[in-house]
Amino acid sequence: MKKGFMLLAMILTVVTAAAAFAAPPANTLAAIKKKGVLVAGVKDSLPPFGYVDEKTRTIVGYDIDFVRAIAKRLGVRVELKAVTSASRMPQLEEGNIDIIAATMTNTPERAKQIAFSDTYFRTGQAFITRKGMVHSLKDLAGKRIGTAKGSTSEQNVKAALPTATILSFDDYPQALLALEQGKVQAVTTDEAILAGILAKAPNRNQFEIPPFKISDEPYGLGMRKNDKQLVAFVNKTLLAMEKSGEAARIFDKWFGPRTPFGLHRTFKIVAGK
Amino acid sequence: MDFQVIADNFTYFMIGSWPKGDLGGVALTIYLAVTSCLLSFIFGLLLGLLSVSRHRFISLPTMLVINLVRGVPLLMVIFWMYFLLPAFFGHGFPEIRTVIIALTCFTAAYMSQIVRAGVEGIPRGQLEAGTSTGLKHWQVMLYIVLPQGLRNMIPSFVNQFVSLIKDTSLAFIVGVSELTHVATQVNNRTMAYPTEIFLFIALVYFLLCYSFTSLSRWLEKRLSWRKSV
Repeated sequence: MKKGFMLLAMILTVVTAAAAFAAPPANTLAAIKKKGVLVAGVKDSLPPFGYVDEKTRTIVGYDIDFVRAIAKRLGVRVELKAVTSASRMPQLEEGNIDIIAATMTNTPERAKQIAFSDTYFRTGQAFITRKGMVHSLKDLAGKRIGTAKGSTSEQNVKAALPTATILSFDDYPQALLALEQGKVQAVTTDEAILAGILAKAPNRNQFEIPPFKISDEPYGLGMRKNDKQLVAFVNKTLLAMEKSGEAARIFDKWFGPRTPFGLHRTFKIVAGK
Repeated sequence: MDFQVIADNFTYFMIGSWPKGDLGGVALTIYLAVTSCLLSFIFGLLLGLLSVSRHRFISLPTMLVINLVRGVPLLMVIFWMYFLLPAFFGHGFPEIRTVIIALTCFTAAYMSQIVRAGVEGIPRGQLEAGTSTGLKHWQVMLYIVLPQGLRNMIPSFVNQFVSLIKDTSLAFIVGVSELTHVATQVNNRTMAYPTEIFLFIALVYFLLCYSFTSLSRWLEKRLSWRKSV
């Protein structure tokens, strides 16, 4: 038994030492330029933020366009790595990716662990329900509500509806399927994502997004806390994109009136927010 | 049922983003399965022989490692490797290699016990007869015990490899775009056709596994024919 503990202690020491030895580079911006590649963690099945295009068979979307714009200004190519809501922060801290562009809400809690860029997309958390069933938040009290694991939506809805039963699914299509089958009475997450899910749902005319929100969701690009130079560069780029109208063009390309989402841009990229 | 979605995405299901991007889909599933299969055969044989060693200081640590790996779910092994390997080999350790290593470790542990049973299933008299002709212990193993044992092990090997093919689907956890992951991506984009997509995926897995079992049945027949000569 004692021997076992010794062995375990030895293994742990080696692992920790090795982990410390292989810590992410101190200056990621310089490292990215040297490698000539920006590795970005993105969603690969969340239209229109990040998904696989049927024709080109590559990941495209709103988040990806921002990453590409940043990489273009850096003069490097982009490598996209698929991440989930649960895996993106560990991936960043492990150094497997340089930047997160995966519909991530900037929260004070997350900002303790990683650095966020200025807000490049703003939405709020809403619900999808059957038509005419829900008129205000009160109607959802005590109901079963579906959302995705590891998202801010999960925490927000718990706070806003303490009496509701929250079911967490692996991704939003699963949650929608549960709604169709009556296992949950509502699906909740950011309105922009809900609009995307609803636009694609087979029997979308049975469902609606009631006009109330329970939170404000500013999306930021995530970077490691000590990567001050990279954060500064990304923010500079975002502001330049806002000024040149490129940011607005990207929004219209994916969410604008000519898309199934038909959303209007109600936010602007502002320094320090 | 509308199988148009399969036709529209057929190339993506088969080869992923290749050649413009990374290999994926069925091609990647086969690559993962074949590579891990060959590696785990080699390591399984090695571990199996070590675990039947007459020297306790060899067999005991080997059994410890084997039991450790066998006592952990495969999903855990993959996840562990995913965070452990970069710690040892630096960043940017490819996910595909991570999955191959994890699958190899896991399958080799099971294979070793098939080898062990196969070796122990050969009557002791054979070993004694071999030794009495002046052969060394390793020679007896190599020339007498293993050739007979391996033939008996084939059905169990095939079993293990068939589950290995199916186990590759767990690679999705680290974002490797093998068949299951690719199917999820398409399903999340199209939303309306989960039944069609996953029926098709199940069929592909079945065809992969069935062709492998057929191949090995043919191999088995050939080997037993040799035995009778």
